[in-house]
Amino acid sequence: MKVHGRFASFVVTFAAVFAIVYYLAVAYNWALFSYGPAIGQWTLFTQAAAAGPTMYWYGWIATAALAAACVAALVAFLPQQLTYWLWPGFAWLVPAGSIAAFVYLLRGYFMR
Amino acid sequence: MFTRCPRTNCWKPSSAIEFGICVNEKRKKLHGMGGVRMWIALVITHGLVAFLLLGAITHQVVSVWAPMRAGASNFVARFRAVGSANYVNAIIVLYLVTALMGSIIYTKYRISARFTLEQGGYWKSFGAFELKEHFIALGLALLPAYWYFWRLSLTPSDARTRKLLTTLLAFVIWWAFLAGHIANNVRGIGT
Repeated sequence: MKVHGRFASFVVTFAAVFAIVYYLAVAYNWALFSYGPAIGQWTLFTQAAAAGPTMYWYGWIATAALAAACVAALVAFLPQQLTYWLWPGFAWLVPAGSIAAFVYLLRGYFMR
Repeated sequence: MFTRCPRTNCWKPSSAIEFGICVNEKRKKLHGMGGVRMWIALVITHGLVAFLLLGAITHQVVSVWAPMRAGASNFVARFRAVGSANYVNAIIVLYLVTALMGSIIYTKYRISARFTLEQGGYWKSFGAFELKEHFIALGLALLPAYWYFWRLSLTPSDARTRKLLTTLLAFVIWWAFLAGHIANNVRGIGT
């Protein structure tokens, strides 16, 4: 079973690449921007807020979405012969793997 | 454990005061009674929209795994008998609305409820909520593929992809609902 059409290639690649990059973004803190909710401060990349905690979640999503959109757009415009390996199942298999990786990454909370 | 903030006169975990969370005057309105009501209304609305989403995705996932057999007419059979494809747009809109509201509430959680979970040592609830935020993000990225494979005039060759995408999304939604509910119950609304 193959992926047919540019849009199909885009959505399958987007879901798969997002899942991988999002995991890496969380594991290595690659946030495109950060937010200090106590003082409403937005900063670029992973700069800590001037006061209170810093939130990176929005930045991680932005990093993963940007990377996934770029890679998916590239794959979507490749000739069909070069994307024969793209399987629709990547759209659920890679995110499922990412979910398992997150459970492993955060297992410490459940073992205390 | 809790200290009254000298600036805004509201009760906060001591660590929040140490962090300087109540110091900024611009954010003072969020500590007032109107601000509290706004957050409560947002949490309740978020919960209600999430509940609609949970119902929709559960109907869909049951109908793709156990489609109705002819002749069955009991409650379970009717539950399975929904037109799965009709739920897709509603699920996507509800997911986006719920995630948007959750992402706003998350800022409040980060500076208040999270301290309660940490200081109380509720690590399993804390971990479940941490997983929730990541699962929600992964679910957001699934939506374009989910929409595409349901929209594609339901070709039999994509049935397995459709079924597993729906199942994964259902898992994310159920986890998010339960983890959010548990985290909310640790402290309670409006306390």
